Amino acid sequence: MSDALTAEVLRNALVVAAEEASIVVVRSAYSTFVVEGSDASAAILDADARLIAQSMATTLMNSMALKVALPELLKDLPAPTMRPGDVFVLNDAYRGGVHTNDLLVYRPVFVEGEPRYFTATMIHVSDLGGLSAGGMAPLATDIFLEGLQLPPVRLATERGVEPAVEAILRANSRTPDKVMGDVRALIAGTAVAATRLAALVTEYGPAGLARGIDDYLDYTEARTRASLADLPDGRHTASYLIDDDGLDLGVSHTVRVAVTVDGTAVTLDFAGTGPQVPAAINSSASQALAAAVFAVRCFLDPTIPMNDGCLRPIDVRLPPGSLLDARSPYPCGGRFVPIYAAMEAIFQALSDAVPGRAIAASGILQPFSIAACDAPYWIHLSYDFGGVGARQGKDGPDATGVHFGIGRNSVPQVEPVESRCPLVVESVELIPDSGGPGRHRGGLGSRTVIRFLAGAHVTTRGDRLRNPPPGRAGGLPGRLGGFFRRRLDGSLERLDSKVNNVRFAAGEAFVVETTGGGGIGPPGTRAHEAVLDDLDAGKITPAGAAADYGVTTHRATPN
Amino acid sequence: MWTSACSAHTLPHVEYAVGVDVGGTFTDVVVSAGDGRITVAKCLSTHDDPADGILRGIGTALARADASPGHVTRVVHATTLATNAVLTRGGERVAYVTTAGFRSAIPLGRYARVEEDRYDLRFDPPPPPVAPQDCFEVPERVDARGEVLLPLDEPAVRTVAAEIVRRGITAVAVCLLHSYANPAHERRVAEILRETLPGVVASFEIWPELREYERATTTIMSAYIGPVMSRYLDRLQERLLAIGVRAPVHVMDSAGGVMSARLASRRAVATIESGPAAGVLAAAAAGYPDVISFDMGGTTAKTCVIRGGRPEITHEFHVGGKGSFGGRRAGTGVPIKMPAIDLAEVGAGGGSIAWLDAAGALRVGPRSAGSAPGPACYDLGGEAPTVTDADLLLGYLSPTSFTALCSPRTPETPAEAPEALPSGEHLDPPSPRHPDLRFPDHRVPHEGDLRFPGHQVPHEGVRPERPDPPQALSTELATKAVERHLAGPLGVSTAEAAHAVHEIVNAAMGSAVQVVTVQRGIDPRGFVLVAFGGAGPMHAARIAARFGIGTVVVPAFCGVASAAGLLTGALSTDRVRSMLDAPDPEAVFAALTEAAAADLGVSPGAPSVTVTRTADVRFTGQAHDLTVPWTGSPADLAEHFHARYREVYGIAQRGPIETVGYRVRVTHHPGDRAAAVFRADPPAPTAGPASRPAYFPELGGYTEVPVLTRSDLAVPVEGPAVVEDPESTIVVPPGWHATRSGDGAVVMRRAGG
Repeated sequence: MSDALTAEVLRNALVVAAEEASIVVVRSAYSTFVVEGSDASAAILDADARLIAQSMATTLMNSMALKVALPELLKDLPAPTMRPGDVFVLNDAYRGGVHTNDLLVYRPVFVEGEPRYFTATMIHVSDLGGLSAGGMAPLATDIFLEGLQLPPVRLATERGVEPAVEAILRANSRTPDKVMGDVRALIAGTAVAATRLAALVTEYGPAGLARGIDDYLDYTEARTRASLADLPDGRHTASYLIDDDGLDLGVSHTVRVAVTVDGTAVTLDFAGTGPQVPAAINSSASQALAAAVFAVRCFLDPTIPMNDGCLRPIDVRLPPGSLLDARSPYPCGGRFVPIYAAMEAIFQALSDAVPGRAIAASGILQPFSIAACDAPYWIHLSYDFGGVGARQGKDGPDATGVHFGIGRNSVPQVEPVESRCPLVVESVELIPDSGGPGRHRGGLGSRTVIRFLAGAHVTTRGDRLRNPPPGRAGGLPGRLGGFFRRRLDGSLERLDSKVNNVRFAAGEAFVVETTGGGGIGPPGTRAHEAVLDDLDAGKITPAGAAADYGVTTHRATPN
Repeated sequence: MWTSACSAHTLPHVEYAVGVDVGGTFTDVVVSAGDGRITVAKCLSTHDDPADGILRGIGTALARADASPGHVTRVVHATTLATNAVLTRGGERVAYVTTAGFRSAIPLGRYARVEEDRYDLRFDPPPPPVAPQDCFEVPERVDARGEVLLPLDEPAVRTVAAEIVRRGITAVAVCLLHSYANPAHERRVAEILRETLPGVVASFEIWPELREYERATTTIMSAYIGPVMSRYLDRLQERLLAIGVRAPVHVMDSAGGVMSARLASRRAVATIESGPAAGVLAAAAAGYPDVISFDMGGTTAKTCVIRGGRPEITHEFHVGGKGSFGGRRAGTGVPIKMPAIDLAEVGAGGGSIAWLDAAGALRVGPRSAGSAPGPACYDLGGEAPTVTDADLLLGYLSPTSFTALCSPRTPETPAEAPEALPSGEHLDPPSPRHPDLRFPDHRVPHEGDLRFPGHQVPHEGVRPERPDPPQALSTELATKAVERHLAGPLGVSTAEAAHAVHEIVNAAMGSAVQVVTVQRGIDPRGFVLVAFGGAGPMHAARIAARFGIGTVVVPAFCGVASAAGLLTGALSTDRVRSMLDAPDPEAVFAALTEAAAADLGVSPGAPSVTVTRTADVRFTGQAHDLTVPWTGSPADLAEHFHARYREVYGIAQRGPIETVGYRVRVTHHPGDRAAAVFRADPPAPTAGPASRPAYFPELGGYTEVPVLTRSDLAVPVEGPAVVEDPESTIVVPPGWHATRSGDGAVVMRRAGG
């Protein structure tokens, strides 16, 4: 009775166990993505691959990977072969993994002599080979060009890291020491969580803990169903365009979804989505699942815990061999492109279902890497954000992530980058008039100008740079961004949205302009004061005010 | 140290040191006489002008001590002024001036979306501390090595200055790129702006550390609250002079050091955590080397680790940050890049509301009933069951706690500190004799050791309403609230529901202990938990048990801990310089030391001055650094770093390291001041132990337990028992015993612990 009444205590303890694993990984990892962007996930699972708890800051794009990959690990390395102290690793994108640069690490937790639970961590490690350092291979035509593939293997035993695995990882990395630092961080994270879990087994007893976990998942399911019941029943379809695959620039690709809310359950059927292509715009299933779950959750009670109970009422149907469920050897590294399209399609379908919480389409993150052409080697991995679409009743935030709930804190600062790399960041600024005009305006895009002091290779992975994010209900689309080369004479050359190792000369500048979000409602209905405020704040120009809103007056002296 | 010997030398007259802690509800004053006498006064905080309350408190305390204001040699102050100004956005309108190309940096911000915000499509970024139109840029550029790439355009600076003046803005923050490496441009911009603008703050003067965003927000916050702080401290000093207190006012900084009012005005951001810092110093002064301070108030619980008598220090914190489980998540709140005592805080306290969520699970917090409407048992209109209501039903709290607390005292009344209400929320009891000073002060007539209760820094930044207080706690209303909202729907007894609430809030507060210990690789088992705050002693033993901690200390006077802690702080200040592997570290340290000593007005070589050098070190190529002691020997540095790394991350790593920052802390210990010594009277004996039923599940439920006072603890008392005094209620669970130590503290030890 007491344990049931105080269930919150155990539930929080499970999350904290995952949380502590994540803290250890983030703080001790070497990978730039991890330390700057906290691109780390940690989870507690059981031997049936049920997701029990997840670290609070888990990278939501990867939220399903550790769950989806565990049965695959157990297929190759059955539980009875596991020993206390063993640690396992894989990155196989077709078996739950994400892309070759993300390592998934598992540690069994033994209860009464059997692996009953698993603690798991994953990060984007510093480098595991492929066409481009750090994992960006936008023009890969198969997964072999994206880096080392690792099936489920024993990474460590109680004696330490397996020398053979370490040798393979080192041999396939441009940064072998950093990769092994990342791997040790991943292992340490699973160890911390396993210690906490073992303490919970002792405190609650094996049966008590199992019962507490069952109750937690049931409870989460009940809350999810209650929240789904608040959505109107019905079927809504939507689709979203992908600009191109980076190789054939004349062809766009489409993600389609039918969202059916039926009582306390929801089905997301992606039938009609384009087929996988031999280019890096496919996604593995775990990523598509994460996008679908995230997008639905954006229309539910945000405080629902993330675990298996939350997944039970959400039925996601991915057409095999499509952009959202690629098969070997179709590349998966550019997975964010199709799954952002999937999220946007779900947002639009649910916006139709619940117009009061509608959101127009958004600009997305535009990742790029810059690397040395010669020794000494340096690399800078980064991304900028597009503007968020307007929300019913309010403007969209500027240059930030709406997809997967990312904030701006993961964008690197200028001073540390300039301390490390031979470049000068000339500016980071908002682009006036880039937010889609509307009664509620889309968020603005940003412009970053990076001038090179030495020759550099630029690699990009952009989308929504040809098809602007549309507005809703009479709102206009956001302004298109792009990647550009500023030549020595100051002229601008637009690059394709996905380029690999384009050589820039010293003195040339790389310009990243992100796309603005779409607006909601006819621009002519926007409040006059709001237009004047935008003028004062520099979010629109006088020319933009006149052209987009028909406003030619402005405050004489902004105050 | 409290335990050091009292000065024996004879003075022509006794000197007095005054500690003043202005909290959200009460202003606490501790007057420490050179001969060891302690006088304490407590009065309402006066929010329109905090100096009113301070003057009243000091006046009362000095009168009680028969002290002449002219004999006060030291006034040390903790204030929430800066915190509240940040949280309520009550500072000056600030203009921000930066390098051309970066005026969007502050409006764009670096906020994170955390926890449930990540699923919120309607999330709006926090409003920037400076409006976009008040951000200005000037053409200039310095690179990471400090070399000038583009000279400063001085006419452009003058144009910007004119526009700022035209807008009627008087506070300006200047933060140019790489000014930590070369401040020449920034210095010149500040000079030009100062020709026409009064409140100019430049980042290199405040905290010249790499990472432009945090340096900028720290500078902006200085400009934002500096003028408020400066006006306030000037007024306070004047008013003290008017009553004859000629001693300079010192202000505690967030790291537990003390600085002059002049410096506090210039570096107002350094005072943001002054109150919590003072509370931790008080816990550190309890006389144990390794302590976890545990301060449980009405809405939050705060913890800090103290090792070897020294509180842990952090170099970045966030004002108004958020996050579950005691973690403050990076990217929330306003980042302040300055040393601060490293506290963990959870939103759980006596006022936390217990509720059933949509799926019927019992939850506690994060909403709090505060002091208005307050817990149901206060009978102030609150209907939601709170932790305090649960504690009352469980028999831990006495229904008459309030009567004891609020009864007017006569001078003959034995020393009692009328303190925090059981929930930790302060309410104002009536006093028939002092309509303004409604809370009677109290004094310790004999030498005594001062106890350290909690202070209430309202991080929520909300000024509490002050309804009339209740005369007693209503068990009936508490029962009704727990029955209606919890026990009934759950189908359990009120006692079971109340006990579950108690357990859940203990676990929540335990997460604050977890954050400062286990998550940092520190084994808490050898530590002493020092509990204070209105509700801390009621929960402390249960929380200690969760971590295998065997000793809990509850200091004697639970109400003026921060004010007392203020008197333990030494005059000190910090300086930092970001630099990658400085070619001549000694020169860097010397320059930092000189600047810090100048801030304090002392000579760096004086015998009373100590200089602590530390360095920020990381594995080459890693992004996170750790601050470790600097001895000048590279081998020592590597050793310290590896050891610290192992402790923090739990992994033994080796590899090349690099130094990215240099820090000094300069501390001045004047030798001519008698150390404050606090000793407590043995409390007056009471009529004899009473008893009441209290709920202990390990004993099968309600059990009649003795209700004791501190005076009954001359010999160890076995739990279960409840120890009540006007300061606090201490629950001694089964398996623990309690005794009174020589200094009047209650020490609980776990059997076999």
